[in-house]
This record gives sequence, structure tokens and C-alpha cells, in this order.
Amino acid sequence: MTPAEQLKDSVLTLAHATQRDDTLTSLRRHAVEQLKVLPFPDKKQEAWKYTGLHALTAGQLNQPATMLQHSAQFPALGDCVIVIGNGFLPAQLPDLPAGLSATTFSSATPSDKSISDEHPDTLFGWLNNASLNDGLLLKTERNQKVAAVVHVVFFNHSDTPCHAANRLQVELAEGSELTLIEHYIGSGPILANALTRIQAGPNSRITHYRLQSEAADTLHIGNLQIDQQRDSYVDSSQLMRGNVLRRNDIHVRLLESGAELSMRGVFIARDQSHIDNHINVEHVAAHCPSNQIYKGIAGEKGRAVFNGRIHIHPYAKGSDASLSNNNMLLSRDAEIDSKPELEIYNDDVKCAHGTTVGQMDAAQLFYLRSRGIDEAKAKRMLGTGFVNETLLAMHDDSVRDWAIDWLGEAL
Amino acid sequence: MLEVRNLHASVDGKDILKGLTLTVKPGEVHAIMGPNGSGKSTLSNVLAGRPGYQITAGDVLYEGKPLAEMETEERARAGIFLAFQYPVEIPGVSNMEFLKASLEAVRSAQGKEPLDAVTLLRRAREACQHVNLDQQFLKRGVNEGFSGGEKKRNEIMQMMLLEPKLALLDETDSGLDIDALQVVAKGVNALRSPERAIVLVTHYQRLLDYIVPDHVHVLADGKIIKSGGKELALELEQKGYGWLTGEEESA
Repeated sequence: MTPAEQLKDSVLTLAHATQRDDTLTSLRRHAVEQLKVLPFPDKKQEAWKYTGLHALTAGQLNQPATMLQHSAQFPALGDCVIVIGNGFLPAQLPDLPAGLSATTFSSATPSDKSISDEHPDTLFGWLNNASLNDGLLLKTERNQKVAAVVHVVFFNHSDTPCHAANRLQVELAEGSELTLIEHYIGSGPILANALTRIQAGPNSRITHYRLQSEAADTLHIGNLQIDQQRDSYVDSSQLMRGNVLRRNDIHVRLLESGAELSMRGVFIARDQSHIDNHINVEHVAAHCPSNQIYKGIAGEKGRAVFNGRIHIHPYAKGSDASLSNNNMLLSRDAEIDSKPELEIYNDDVKCAHGTTVGQMDAAQLFYLRSRGIDEAKAKRMLGTGFVNETLLAMHDDSVRDWAIDWLGEAL
Repeated sequence: MLEVRNLHASVDGKDILKGLTLTVKPGEVHAIMGPNGSGKSTLSNVLAGRPGYQITAGDVLYEGKPLAEMETEERARAGIFLAFQYPVEIPGVSNMEFLKASLEAVRSAQGKEPLDAVTLLRRAREACQHVNLDQQFLKRGVNEGFSGGEKKRNEIMQMMLLEPKLALLDETDSGLDIDALQVVAKGVNALRSPERAIVLVTHYQRLLDYIVPDHVHVLADGKIIKSGGKELALELEQKGYGWLTGEEESA
């Protein structure tokens, strides 16, 4: 068997091992059937060309994670905190702010069909379904602004290799508003297989943060799927430092006219770490603006991959889409592979995309040093300055201040 | 304070300075003038330690110590300040954050207490006022989107805060209108003191109407070919550089 076949075998064994009888049985079973026919990613597939999954041969796919006994340490960024350890939901959900309700997938009523109706995009998304312990479902009330910032902490920890399915679904009712921090923390050779789905109803607004700050020895493969209805507004910031393996597949669909997307991200891969972001923004309907700014830094033997695709469908007239990815290499052995892709199927669109990979500017460095600032500090200032533009665009002070320090540590 | 002896320097393997000798004492203001390509900017960059500028022969001593052995930042901490001909834009790093880092580094090397945030902000605002720079510039990225004149005034503002012992002004007057020139000159004059030396590198005599030098040197082809008092600048203004470079040929 090839390594990919072996890993596929592990996936199926894991999927079978996590089957049990409860309200989510059919969701899991259906996913297992899908997994049987899906190929395991390897470098021959375009979407996995620059990211190998050999790190998983340590055995993450052989063992489901068990419930954690100790509590997590994390910065206080939000007002309402929900901690999910190794994919296990707390026995009791906290009191929620006005305008927001929370349920577990397992206790959701059969009318919450959205959980099972939507299909994951990737093999790991299906594996999330197949091995799901439980998921968190957040719903806003129509025309209500949730005043408190909701901080959902996914804490994944294990001393031995294992797999944890992290699952979050957010449904924004018409005219509602929410600020959500989705925060991944933890350590050890555990694979966080995260699937988050955001459904933005008509005229709703969400400010979303996806923070990935696990320790360097933790693995993360995540899917973020966002569906936007008429006149909804999604502002999503994704910040991450590198680890053994980090892969994010982000898929946004602007399904109805007037939906607007603003996404930004910062990824910093130092030492031996690997970060891969695959983004796909689909303009399905007419008159939707989308704007994406991603900044990447790689140092030492760090490796970053960025693939940003904008897909304008035939009926998406008047689309206004832009994507930029600017990168900075700090050392000779670091590597960043950036590829923007445009697919446009009508001619009434405004589309811009650009990507750059450069080094730290020698003239800027000299300027700082000529004012007495030592070289290491000057480099840190320039690295921070490079990503600051993106961080300063974030709305919430608590997240922004934390992010500036946290990313600054990596520079 | 500064002792340059028979300095030879090259940039990208090309010899630019070919035996330059210059002595600057505390309290003095020197003007170094010369046509384009004479090596004026090379001299200031060599003194500030810009990478790529190689000293190939001769000595530069600053307060008795060989400058070549000091890193760029060490020179700044020892009191050398270069006002750049082309100040660099650094988007994302605010002017205030930059000033804070710079002042902390320079002051701590000089055994001075770091300034508290309130004092730092007050001093920065005063310095801004002194060079007619709106205080909003403190919040903006370093030189980001500044006009040419604003960049030059920002340099002088930094100089006022850092209080260097040896200030090198590399064509700070170039491209300035008369009003801006007067502002810059006012800033420089305010810094004149018996402990401080100032070296003005300039192409135009005009600056010297506002900052009166003690010594004027003419640089041509990498060497100082004539030195004199402030009247030399006026003579140059009337006769042009050809007068001197021609004189050298016929001598």
C-alpha cells in the first residue's frame, strides 16, 4: 500500500470506530459512505500540490481523541465564552446573551435540517461528519443585534497522536448581527479537524475572527464554509501562526445579490512550520462585492502556500471582486507559493487580483538602524508593520491588541 | 569630533571617494558642496554605515574611535545622525512608534532614563510644532504618503528629538521651497551649540543664506579640492563649479 492508501485505510477505520447509535447516526453513516469513494489527498492533486500529509503517518488518523480532564488557558477576548475540549461539548452551555441561542447538534430538533443537508467540500470535512462527537449550533434571532462578543474556544490536547472533530455552525437570521471569535488552541500531536459553517441570512451582519494559535506540535486541517444570502455582510479575519501542518480550505458563496464579503488574513510560518490556505470565493449572484487581503511571512525553513480563487458565475453581473496576497520572506530557505486564480464567466465584472513575494526592504532596515534601533528589533518592526495594515482593519480592539502582540512574538 | 583621513570608498565596486580629508570640531558647522556625482552623498552614507558602501583605504575616526568598527545602530547611539536625502517610507510602522524605539535605543546607550509616554508625546509634539509638521503625522506610517518637504521636515524633527552630537544633513535642502527651507534652517540653527557639530551636504548655496557655515568645502571627483570660509559659497554661487574644477585642471 502507498502511504496515501494507508492513510485512507486509517480514515475508514477511524470513521467506523466512531459510529454509534444516537441522533447523529445517519449523519455519520452517510459520511462513511462518501469517504469510501473519495480519494485521499496526495501531491498529484492540484489542491494538494504543495502540502504533503506525511505528518499524519504518526497516527493521528488511527485514534479518536478522548474527553479532556483539564481546563484550557486562553486570553479573555470575548464576553460569552464556550469551551469545547477535543470536540466534546460542555455538559452545560453557558448563559447566552440576548438575541442568541445555542444548541448541540445531537439535541437539535429535526427542523434543523441544515446540519445534514449541506455537504462538506473535502474528505476531511466528510471525516468530520463521520467521526463527529457533537457540534455547536449558534442561532441569532431575527432583527436582533447580539451585543456580547461570543468567544468559542476549541481546545485540543493530547500526548499521543489522535483525531478530534471540531464543529461549529452559525445561522444568522434575517437582519441580525453577531461578533464571533472562533479560537483554536491546544498542544500535542493531535489533529484538529475543524469544520465551521456560517449561514448569513438576508441583511444579516457578522464580524468573524478565526484565530489559530495552537502549539507548533499540533496539527490543524480546517474547513470554513460561508454562505451569504441577499444583502448580508460578512467580515472575516483569519490569523494564524505555523505548526507541523496547517491547512485551511475556505469556501464562500455569495448566493444572492447585494451580499458583501470582506476577508483578510495573516499567516506567519517560522522555523519548520507549514501553513496552507486554499480560498475559493464564488460570486453566484449579481451585484456582490468581495474584497480579500492576505499577508504572509515565512522565515527559517517555514513554508506557506496560498491559493486564492475567485469564481464569477455567468449570472453574477456587476460583480466587484478583489484579492491580494503579499508575502515577505525572511530567509533563504523559507518558501511561499502563492497562486491567485480568476475564473470569470460573464463580462460585466470588475476584478482585480495580485500577489507579491519579496524580502525585507534593505533601505527600510537601514533607515531604522540609522536611528539607533538594533537589527533584530528593526526586523521585528518591519515584519509587524507589514501585517499591521491588515490587523488595523479589524474592528474589535481586544482581538486586535492581542493579535498584534501574539503575531509580534513570531517576528 | 570627526576626523576623516585620506578616505577612499567604493559603492558596488566603483571607487567614489578618492582621498578625502576633513576635520570637524565640536561647535562647528561645515558645508560640503559639489556638483552631482562628486561623492557628497557617498560621504554621508559611508559615515552613517549604509551597507554596500565600502571603505577601501584611509581612516574615519569619531571621537577617536574608528567608525568602520561600529555597526550602523552603534553609530547612531554614539550620537551620529544622518538626515536622509531620500527619507524612506515605512507603511505600517507609525512615526510615533518609530520615534519611541529610536529614542529608547539611543537614550539607553547614552545612560539616560527612557522617557515616559507623556513626556515623549509632549516632546514629539513640540518638535513637530518647531518644524511646522501637523501632529497627525505622528500617527501616520513613517514618511508614508508625506510630500517631499514633509519628509525633510520629519528628518529635522527626529534630529531635534535625538539631539545628536554630529548631525549630517544630506541634501536636506534639495527640492524644498523657500518657506520649507526656512523651517528646516530654523530647526538646524536651534540645534547649533558648542558641543554639537553639523555637516551640511548640499548642491545649492541657497541653504547657506539661512544656516551660516564656519567652513565651506568643495568636493569634486571624490576629493576636497578647496576649503574656505562662508564667502567661498558665495563665490561658487557666482562662478559655478566649473571655475574650480577647471582651476584644478589648469593647476
